Amino acid sequence: MESLADTKWDVIIAGTGLYQSLLALALSRSGKKVLHLDQNPHYGGSDAAFSLDEAQEWMNSVNQRPGRSPFEDAKIFTYQHPPDSPRSPPSQSDSEQSERPAGTPDLRPKLAASRAYTLSLSPYFLYTRSALISILISSKVYRQLEFVALGSWWIHTPDSPTNDTAELGATRIFHRVPGNREDVFADAHISMKSKRTLMRFLRHISKSQDEDSGETDGDLSVPFGEYLSTNFSVPDDLLHALRSLSLSQQSPQDTPASYAVPRVKRHLASIGSMGVGFGGVVSKYGGASEILQVACRASAVGGGTIALDTGISSLKDGGVTSEEEHPVEVQISSGETVRSKCVVGSVWDLPNQELPSLSTKVARSITVASSSFASLFPITTEGAPLPASTILMFPGDTLSHPQSPPVYLQVHSSDTGDCPRQQSVIYGSVAIPGSEGHTLIECAVDRLLRAEGPQAVVLWSMRYTQSGRLSTDGSSPNIHNPSPHVFSFPPSSLDLTWEDEIVDMVKQVWVKIVGDEVDHDDFMIFEDREGTTDD
Amino acid sequence: MSDAAGANAPKPSSSVKLVLLGEAAVGKSSLVLRFVNNDFQENKEPTIGGKQRPQTSPYESMRKTSSSRLSLGMNNGPGMADKCSLPTRTIKFEIWDTAGQERFASLAPMYYRNAQAALVVYDVTKPSSLTKAKHWVAELQRQASPGIVIALVGNKLDLTNDGGDASAASALEAEPESADADGEEGAGEEGEEHDATPGDARKVSTREASSYADEEGLLFFETSAKTGTNVVDVFTAIANAIPESSLKTGRGGAGTGQTALGGRSADDARVNLGERNAATAKEGCAC
Repeated sequence: MESLADTKWDVIIAGTGLYQSLLALALSRSGKKVLHLDQNPHYGGSDAAFSLDEAQEWMNSVNQRPGRSPFEDAKIFTYQHPPDSPRSPPSQSDSEQSERPAGTPDLRPKLAASRAYTLSLSPYFLYTRSALISILISSKVYRQLEFVALGSWWIHTPDSPTNDTAELGATRIFHRVPGNREDVFADAHISMKSKRTLMRFLRHISKSQDEDSGETDGDLSVPFGEYLSTNFSVPDDLLHALRSLSLSQQSPQDTPASYAVPRVKRHLASIGSMGVGFGGVVSKYGGASEILQVACRASAVGGGTIALDTGISSLKDGGVTSEEEHPVEVQISSGETVRSKCVVGSVWDLPNQELPSLSTKVARSITVASSSFASLFPITTEGAPLPASTILMFPGDTLSHPQSPPVYLQVHSSDTGDCPRQQSVIYGSVAIPGSEGHTLIECAVDRLLRAEGPQAVVLWSMRYTQSGRLSTDGSSPNIHNPSPHVFSFPPSSLDLTWEDEIVDMVKQVWVKIVGDEVDHDDFMIFEDREGTTDD
Repeated sequence: MSDAAGANAPKPSSSVKLVLLGEAAVGKSSLVLRFVNNDFQENKEPTIGGKQRPQTSPYESMRKTSSSRLSLGMNNGPGMADKCSLPTRTIKFEIWDTAGQERFASLAPMYYRNAQAALVVYDVTKPSSLTKAKHWVAELQRQASPGIVIALVGNKLDLTNDGGDASAASALEAEPESADADGEEGAGEEGEEHDATPGDARKVSTREASSYADEEGLLFFETSAKTGTNVVDVFTAIANAIPESSLKTGRGGAGTGQTALGGRSADDARVNLGERNAATAKEGCAC
């Protein structure tokens, strides 16, 4: 194998998370000589996606090397489902699978082969009006991705009147959140009076969207719920629905209007902006994991060199006074020493980094369920694509924890490519770390499955705690600059969609590295590179 | 070259993702260049290599349409419109280049994803390249879709004594259409090994490679990207070997079968972000 030390690099990028991969693409197409490394043998870092077997390996490495990644306490459960009792207690994955009696056909739902699954650590959707979508399109990266639509938002309503109707299906314990004005009018659960107040609010925020005027918006520092009641007399029963559109993972009292209002605006502005009836999309085969792989490939096409399973062991920055053209000396895990003008990574990929004090931790889970949850994926607008993903929000009070943050479940149908047909992947998140959070997620998943019916069971699940930052924290993330030629991205976002800040940060580092050589307006705007012939 | 009527062509047409694999400098890109543009470039730079990329740029993927001879009755279901009476179907190859990512064992899973065909290339003058090819075949069997059609291709046949003899290796009826083997002008400034080697440089026997291909159930050809020998045949054979069932689902992969929502297929779920940009998209896109 050729030596990486033979080249003097313009940039060494450590880690193949989404930030780094987008940066690698931007720089390689700006004529920079890019060496892109990842200490892991797989792509994606904390944005990776796994088969069942790979998830097992990942779990082992997370638990064996605490403090080396934003993850902790990963645990996998596989489930036995005897024909008689579909809900049996989980068994730890290290236990043996029991044999069924010979001769009886096995009709129980079961897991498919390991590789039939693409389970994502970053299954987040993208709003169609977002900076990330814009650069995926302008860079032509989207051409090698497949997107499916995000469908409805649902609020868990355990005491819903629809519980009376004996119909099965998960939707009987949920209300669909009206996503636009037509939805509001059609919604049978909302009283006429409530509809009027809701319409007033929606009109207000879409108006200020268009005009972007300085019209007084009321006091945005108060909790969103209070803001809605005070300024628009929105009744209490609609507050959860509007909060869910902000995707706030904080409790109602910790979700200020200044956070929620712009996000509800974004939600409404995205609906229909790229096609009828949807406002969000999910990248198939593992969400961000697939996007970053395409970005890395496009970076390689642009001349970048990429080496997996190769980390940075030590790093020496010659500093501002260095006469060297390539002032940073980097020792990589293969033992080679390579030189570069600068190095970019994250706290998890660069050596000798002081770990930031990560106060924000969330409990996460990935669950493979034996049901397609068909009723959760209605087509609500004529001509809309069949949704492949949906958001379920369980307010804290519905889980007997009135003060607690909500639990979000993002259900991916098999159309996302994450799992085989007739199964679904449920991604759970709650902003309470550890077992307390996991208990809440488990409770939410259990309610969903029970409502769906006896055939809906858990086949496999993994839980873990992840550190990072939430955009509700209020502080905007910064690029860390531990030494003159070294840049470090902040910890990954724990939000459920990609905030525009990710693109801002990638662009910031790109600008620092390309300087004035390139017009900054050309960031991530590329021509097609496809050799195309037709005859 | 661009066929404006392509979109309305009556022939059934399917897109096939084909991935290229093989050791560096065995001629992967040259094979594709020969197939797609019927062109060959002497002293071609490695696909990736930093500094300059003179004549050809690396590409995301190339597209090339090929017609394969298949009987309609055998391959098309009863639902097919009867105007498709031509005994051919059209295959659009979407050829993916590794872009050098294989050099440090960093080919992404997305490279293999939903690939329906693979071209594993070695150099008939370099035994180690066959060893590497075997490694790639194993990797494909591990990572790629189970039904993938793999063709093992020994390139640089022009450097062997039977280089001009197009039918030397292939069991198929080879059709040397560009027999003017020396038609290329030596564009390079310094002679590459191609020109420097007199006589027979073959180091891998046809029998060794073909018996390996038989064992593994691979298509097998020996080619010359330089002269064009057998190049089209490789792609035609691949097109013919791709099962109709996998064509129906296209790149969606395991997309047959019904969803629980009553017969909507996975295609209903796909969202085309490019639609809104269609007006600004470059013309000549084959998709």
